[in-house]
Amino acid sequence: MSRRPRIAVRHLSKTFRDGGREVVAVRDVSFEIVDQEFVAVVGPSGCGKSTILNMIGGLATPSSGVVEVDGRAVAGVPPGVGYVFQKDTVFPWRTVARNIALGLEYRGVRGEAQRRRVQEAIRLAGLDGFEDAFPATLSGGMRQRVALMRTLVVEPEILLMDEPFGALDTHTKLNLHAELLALWEARHQTVVFVTHDLSEAITLADRIVVMSRRPGRIKLVYDVQLPRPRDVIALRETAEYARQYSEVWHVLGQEFGPEGASAAPSGTSPSGGAGGAGARTRSIEP
Amino acid sequence: MSVVAWRVVILIVLLGAWEGLTRVKAVSRTPGLYWLDPFFISRPSAILERFVYLNSDQVRLTLWEMALSTVQSTLWGFVVGVSTGFVAGLVLGRNERLARVFEPFIVAFNSLPRIALVPLITMIFGFGLVAKIVLAWTIVFFIVFFNTFQGARSVDADLIHSARFLGAGERQVMTTVIVPSALAWTFASLTPSISFALIGVVVGEFLGGESGGGLGYLIIQSLGTLNAADMMVAMISLGLIGIVMALGIRQLEARLLRWRPEHRTRR
Repeated sequence: MSRRPRIAVRHLSKTFRDGGREVVAVRDVSFEIVDQEFVAVVGPSGCGKSTILNMIGGLATPSSGVVEVDGRAVAGVPPGVGYVFQKDTVFPWRTVARNIALGLEYRGVRGEAQRRRVQEAIRLAGLDGFEDAFPATLSGGMRQRVALMRTLVVEPEILLMDEPFGALDTHTKLNLHAELLALWEARHQTVVFVTHDLSEAITLADRIVVMSRRPGRIKLVYDVQLPRPRDVIALRETAEYARQYSEVWHVLGQEFGPEGASAAPSGTSPSGGAGGAGARTRSIEP
Repeated sequence: MSVVAWRVVILIVLLGAWEGLTRVKAVSRTPGLYWLDPFFISRPSAILERFVYLNSDQVRLTLWEMALSTVQSTLWGFVVGVSTGFVAGLVLGRNERLARVFEPFIVAFNSLPRIALVPLITMIFGFGLVAKIVLAWTIVFFIVFFNTFQGARSVDADLIHSARFLGAGERQVMTTVIVPSALAWTFASLTPSISFALIGVVVGEFLGGESGGGLGYLIIQSLGTLNAADMMVAMISLGLIGIVMALGIRQLEARLLRWRPEHRTRR
């Protein structure tokens, strides 16, 4: 099966200026994402994964290399692309319903058509009864649901997500994984999902791009072979999940902590400290 | 005892002491002197008397008419000052280059004590309503301008980005992100603005109140006749006007900023 490429990243590098010092955030990164593919980009914080996402979304310009979306070099926010930020970007002065209506408003969809689509999105997100609530009265998880539905209501074919669930507790996160997968099964958007949480990446993605520490380079591209549709809870108890987790962690674990001595995942003992070697014998995250 | 009860008690004690001490003669060798001299600070009963008299038809211009004149000038100055200050704040707040060009002029004009402008403004605009509006405007404009400017500058960039990803054009970014975001800052400047508008108007009336009356004119006129009671009447009226206008703004703020958590809990 060969699907048309939607996003192409070629020899992408990004250098920042920090005072007089030059900091290389991303070094020579290339990959391609095909239509309807769900790709997760995983790496330790500061590895430039969000920078790559920002360059795809036109929020940052590459120092060298190119980013193409649908065959066209990105300059400014590309059309048909949705972006979900880690930070809370729900407009606090608008109610839930009016936040979700934003994209429709910008496109001139008004009246009954707007109302119907907003209602549908609210129902899908399980936000019934909160239509007229202001964001300040909602929990973090609910606000992120609003942000997600606000993006999806205008039906983008490409979805860029920058650690969208990073600030949420584990339980809320799992619920949102299930909801995101259900929504994705319905429309099969092309997704680039940036995260530092490997279990999240395996749960959601078809393919995982593993980044090294700064300067960020690609260390591994891993095809997740878990059948869909996935049950986010049951999935974690399967041997396949455990095997694939440890395969990726074997590479990714070296990138966490100082000098590769991995201190990253919780539930692991600090003994050993032999970096990647230790990771192989380690128990798997819940 | 409740807070309100305490307030009432304090008010009664103060007024009683004022009335009493301006009536009781001091036991001293200088006859005719009171503990507090009513010539300078009048006394509550006399003030009440003047209050009634100034509202009767025995005067050319009633207190009510003077108060209305002051309120009218203040509201005009406020509205003109807020709207121009808001627009200027938005424009310069979103245009780095323009802001840098205008910065020294704005700082220079703002550091000028506004009272120094009164004679010039009177010379240009005469003794009427316009002069008072202009004077109030010169103060209100800057208060609102600086707040809106800060507000427009500190709009969260990610909010603007998310609007762009949702398909917003430049105008839509302005109306749906920058204006509502900056409004929260602008509102913070409205309460001081209305007080300063009132100050500007009263100062304007000191010099050129006669044509429209106004409470500032009453104060200056009372100075001419050394009438402390009338001054007190004018001051109490100004205080009441100030309170009512501040409450009005608070109501407006609570309505328009009802999305903010602090307005939610206050109700």
